[in-house]
Amino acid sequence: MPPAERLPIVVIACQVLEDMLERLLPENGRSVSQVTFMDYGLHRVPSKMAGALQDALDEIEEPSLIMLGYGLCGNGLEGLKAGKHTLVVPRTDDCIALLLGSYSAYRQEFAAVPGTYYLSKGWLESGSHPLSEYEEYLPKYGPKEAMWIMDMQYQHYERLMLVTHTQTDLVKYRPVAQQVARFCERWEMRYEERAGSDAYVRQLVEIAMALSRGEEPGQASGRDFVVVPPGGAIHQDQFIR
Amino acid sequence: MSESLERISTAILEGDEEKAPKLVARALRKQVSAKDILENALLVGMGEVGVRFKAGDMFVPEVLMSAEAMRASMELLRPELIREGVQLFGKILMGTVKGDLHDIGKNLVNMMCEGAGFEVIDLGFNAAPEKFLDAIKEHQPQIVGMSAMLTTTMRAMGYTIKAIEEAGLRDQVKIMVGGAPVDAEFAKRIGADGYGSNAPAGAELAKQFVGAA
Repeated sequence: MPPAERLPIVVIACQVLEDMLERLLPENGRSVSQVTFMDYGLHRVPSKMAGALQDALDEIEEPSLIMLGYGLCGNGLEGLKAGKHTLVVPRTDDCIALLLGSYSAYRQEFAAVPGTYYLSKGWLESGSHPLSEYEEYLPKYGPKEAMWIMDMQYQHYERLMLVTHTQTDLVKYRPVAQQVARFCERWEMRYEERAGSDAYVRQLVEIAMALSRGEEPGQASGRDFVVVPPGGAIHQDQFIR
Repeated sequence: MSESLERISTAILEGDEEKAPKLVARALRKQVSAKDILENALLVGMGEVGVRFKAGDMFVPEVLMSAEAMRASMELLRPELIREGVQLFGKILMGTVKGDLHDIGKNLVNMMCEGAGFEVIDLGFNAAPEKFLDAIKEHQPQIVGMSAMLTTTMRAMGYTIKAIEEAGLRDQVKIMVGGAPVDAEFAKRIGADGYGSNAPAGAELAKQFVGAA
């Protein structure tokens, strides 16, 4: 078989995966031509997410293998068009499976306690957690109304879970996570910690490398990844399993 | 839309819990019918809330404020609606599906449907298919509504519809679905009869189901 044409890899990922990807992406810049981390805040408005990602994607001139560090993210990726590029994206609803290391790990946690609010280094640093949300509402609505808004949103949650990937991060982020946990005691949420795994993101990097070399990505790819050829688009039903 | 109705719908949109019912009371005093206020002010305001929320121009706190303004207005309006003899359309069984504990949207749809003249039986959140089955048998609703807020949980709507089919109850109910990640295509794929893109749209769909729209 003649060697397929190599595609440069371009990474477009949510900031929440920045740490993990920086550890896992190959150090020499030969295969990865560009890495862009997008603002955490995009996930708050899924209807605007695809537009922002499409803009980032359309700016890339050379046909590339685009590795998307996202999940379906509340349909935030719905309608994203590959154009002249090839897309590869983890086949998961959101980043929790990527933080925990596999889709099955996520399903397991989800089945055990559906009402779980996840914290990670990225989410804590971006201030995306109930305590900072309350602090954001406070000046605008006053204490009583702000707390009512919080109650309406979080009263049925049962568990707060900190997911970290290194001992250093656990030690570093535990205090703020515990602070959030004390706030969430209001809804009788219990606090737990989990050691995350980079297995899923590692696999994403490996599959992106294989695809960029024109190789067949292997069996696991269909189950855990969505690959969109040039001219195709991302749709919700590709993620449902 | 008359100026007084427009002011009510603006107060709903702005989530002004005090101003909205005051304006409703004033309109009632001016002999505007309760039905007119509901359909041409409250539902219009909430419809706009739904559109803006989806577009990312409004967030959860603002939606909650609007819902409170709507609730306060409905308290005034409900006795008037009954006095005007607004027809009762039947029963809706409503619930957030298994695995999902988000109920803000579902509660909003409930409020809209009650306003439109339905009796709503609320199964709450994290409602398993069996819970839907038992409630269909017990309450004999004309309509079943399901809500999901996550792509992770919206497939539970499909499982619930399947369970309703397998129990032989599918023919006796119309099924409507909604929630942030749901769209008309998904609704069709899982075999629902309709999809509501926001709370007033859900109530409108329910009326269509019973031939009242």
